Amino acid sequence: MDVIHLLVVELSRFQFALTALYHFMFVPLTLGLTFILAAMETAYVITGKEIYKDMTQFWGKLFGINFAIGVATGLTMEFEFGTNWSMYSRFFGDIFGTPLAIEGLMAFFMESTFIGLMFFGWDRLSRGAHLAVTYIVALGSNISALWILVANACMNMPAGAHFDPETMRLTSTSFVALVFNPDAQAKAVHTSVAGFVTASMFVMGISAFYLLRKQHREFAARSFRMAALFGIISTIAVITLGDVLGRLDYEHQPTKVAAMEGLWETSKPPYEPWILFGIPNDKKQTNYLEVGVPFVLTPLLTHDFKTPILGIKELQIQAGPKIESGIQAVSALKRYSENHQQTDLDIFKTHQKDMGYGFLASQYAPDQDVTKIKSEHIPTIVKKTKSDIYPNVFVTFWAFRIMVFLAIYFFIVFAMASYVSLRREIEKHRIFLKIISWSIPLPFIASEFGWITAEVGRQPWTIFEILPTVISSSTHSSGYMIFSLIGFLLLYSIFIAAELFLMFKFARLGPQIHQEQTSSLQTIFTYQKG
Amino acid sequence: MSIFLRFIGLGLILVIALLVAVFVGDQGPWYFAWLIGTTMIVLISVAGTVLFDTQSDNHNSTGEF
Amino acid sequence: MEYYVIIKLIWAVILCVLFIGLGLMVGMDMGVGILLRFVGKNDIERRTTLNIIGPHWEGNQVWFILGAGAIFAAFPTLYATAFSVFYVVMILMLFSMILRPVAFEYRSKIDQGFWRTSWDWIFLISGFFPMFVCGAAFGNILQGVGYHFIWNGQYFQDESFWSYLINPFAILCGLLSVSLSIFQGGMMLMIRSEDPIYSRAKKYATMAAIVATCLFIVGGIWIFQIKGFVLASGDPAMSPNPLFGQHVITYKGAWLHNYYDYPILWSLPIWGILCMLGAVLMAQSNKPACGWWIGLGIWIGVIGTVGAAMFPFFMPSTTAPDQSLTIWNSCGSLYGLICMAILVCIFVPIILSYTSWCFYVMRGKVKTASIIKDHHSY
Repeated sequence: MDVIHLLVVELSRFQFALTALYHFMFVPLTLGLTFILAAMETAYVITGKEIYKDMTQFWGKLFGINFAIGVATGLTMEFEFGTNWSMYSRFFGDIFGTPLAIEGLMAFFMESTFIGLMFFGWDRLSRGAHLAVTYIVALGSNISALWILVANACMNMPAGAHFDPETMRLTSTSFVALVFNPDAQAKAVHTSVAGFVTASMFVMGISAFYLLRKQHREFAARSFRMAALFGIISTIAVITLGDVLGRLDYEHQPTKVAAMEGLWETSKPPYEPWILFGIPNDKKQTNYLEVGVPFVLTPLLTHDFKTPILGIKELQIQAGPKIESGIQAVSALKRYSENHQQTDLDIFKTHQKDMGYGFLASQYAPDQDVTKIKSEHIPTIVKKTKSDIYPNVFVTFWAFRIMVFLAIYFFIVFAMASYVSLRREIEKHRIFLKIISWSIPLPFIASEFGWITAEVGRQPWTIFEILPTVISSSTHSSGYMIFSLIGFLLLYSIFIAAELFLMFKFARLGPQIHQEQTSSLQTIFTYQKG
Repeated sequence: MSIFLRFIGLGLILVIALLVAVFVGDQGPWYFAWLIGTTMIVLISVAGTVLFDTQSDNHNSTGEF
Repeated sequence: MEYYVIIKLIWAVILCVLFIGLGLMVGMDMGVGILLRFVGKNDIERRTTLNIIGPHWEGNQVWFILGAGAIFAAFPTLYATAFSVFYVVMILMLFSMILRPVAFEYRSKIDQGFWRTSWDWIFLISGFFPMFVCGAAFGNILQGVGYHFIWNGQYFQDESFWSYLINPFAILCGLLSVSLSIFQGGMMLMIRSEDPIYSRAKKYATMAAIVATCLFIVGGIWIFQIKGFVLASGDPAMSPNPLFGQHVITYKGAWLHNYYDYPILWSLPIWGILCMLGAVLMAQSNKPACGWWIGLGIWIGVIGTVGAAMFPFFMPSTTAPDQSLTIWNSCGSLYGLICMAILVCIFVPIILSYTSWCFYVMRGKVKTASIIKDHHSY
């Protein structure tokens, strides 16, 4: 029988989450460090001081180590839509494929071609030309992220698309609507500046490490100053855009917002507290040990004091009729695809907007075929489906909170760092320097949890309220999935070990590494000649 | 003559920049904000480090950062 | 003719162009990776070899990503089905492809014998395997793959991959693409290296070109014996849904029927063979730059030949031939295809111009001494 095994769907989800989160350990640093390198090189071209060239080259070296794995793991992402999410790719490819292809065409090519010149072209290009190359790389990497987020935004907030029953898929109707989708705009900028924050913390942390050890002080103090200023403005931008995204989610994805805020019941404005701490329990639909700040939630999300925010229980009640109507829609659609009767098409058209809920219910239908549901079984199936319409609250709730708390922490750290750096007092505050150098991993963690909030919060859909995750995946056997999962786990663990080893090695060696490596190679060379 | 041409070139770039800004600012305010904001961030951090150099010239004797 | 048919055809051509770019540029890097252990006998020679493509491999690799992206955008059904049907192959290819960038970046960062030898082996594997598998997949596709669709467009696979992946014809196709990549890599090495790498590269490139010629001719004769597919009825302007509107017949040697109908197409394989012979000549007469451009001619010939034989098929199905994926039933919507085509027409020329500029800036022989001096070299 032609059915999807739910285990395969779960394994595909696990593999995609694993590879995507792994990929995103390398992306934010690329996004931000390229612009910091560009800023350093700008300083070099303006002032003509060699120290800025050393800075550009040293941070460039760390960037290079990071970039290689970013590209390698990005390849996986591009292929996984086809290898693991065939139904999704076919159903959505006309819209979703476009930004991915443009990303390659417009940005990735530019970035990757010029990165060769950036590393190898120091002696072959004039200062101005090399600076231009660095800016092109920075712009390329960020435009590349922009297109990926345009693609991601149309999963969360489909725009410029309509469903065509003839081809059984979404058809592209407006390219402009796709690119200028508000969700895409806010997400692209949020992600890009989150990358700036990550890179600023990275540069600042390693500089703080040198300042603590009193090595390369001229070099480190300058890098510290640049990164601190870079970071403080970026952090403000990240928080602003985070607020915009929260509002967009409130307008378009009520289930995500309810899960993020741990709202089981509809909120009571204006008192409703913003929960600082709590342990949501998905089974019992309640929060344990809740501690909150009153009067914060309503203005935070809705920007006024009156509007209630729907809780999960109310959203479930609202979903009931949608599921019934969706079952009608999908049954009519199936009959239409078999017989091409106008009557079926008309039934489908009246229920079309609930189609996604019909697909969601199909996992509980006999043989996953909604036309086989007997009318007396519909209430039980609707009841079962209702429990699936919202994401895992515990994960979404905590992922969101970790991200928010970390953002506030970054704001404080960067503000203090900018202040002491501008007053030229950083070396006096040794404890602060220690805190900063231990904070390097935190922006990476915040970025990862940002993605978890956005994408776990999108569940149970791959295309919000249109295509559920359970029918999106490829119809593999679980053997295939175990094979690929073991492979990815092995390879990626080796990579991360090698990456960290090299990063630590080169960061410890510091900027004078160039000469050392040269001399060690010189010995090999003379040895081989002799 | 070459100065005149340079002015025309710069003028053209300005006009194109203005048109792009109007279009992007209208269609995608956040994209526009990114363009302006990133330029600003880069300039501020460069200004910060150039300021560092001036501070170094003034405080040469102390050697504290 | 309807606009939709025209744009579908334009996209089939664009896809061929991207495949040619992919074969040429990625193939070149893979070829260098395969040859690494053979043209470089000691560490410093190997580093020279790597630095010849050092500034360019990242850009070249994007052809691979662009190829996948273009199939996704323009032929979503093909992307969704082909990548899933060839799951194990694709995943293995991914593993070897993601090892390569890492190998480049890490190999020369640590000065230790075992570390570097291991990465050299990885270069060999990650150069050979993807080229071989891509070629073999084309061989599989020419023989047909077992899959069918259900009403909502989900595919189901009807045979396990073991049963079709490895067979003599697929191995032949795989070896053909490997030998072409070795030739291309050899040409690049000859352009930018000095002796002793130069003369070793020359030897291997010549051998590869001769082997490629033989394999191409043998494959051409073999195709007469293979059960091919013919689209008996199907409206080119049909709305892209693989479930309806096609009737496909299969018989032995059917892949040649386009050639019988339009004898002018025979010029494609002949052009391919002439280019391969010219390649041998250029390698032997020390004209690597000419040889490199002839390599482009070879790829045009090979991909053109296969494309002309399969037209309009992308991936024929053996178990449900009427649902075979063709240019007509697997493409995107009219609007989407037009948007993408405009963007491709703008950006591909730009890509080609800055890629050539990069090659121009980095021109000249790679000197061993300069690698040791330059701290960014691989």
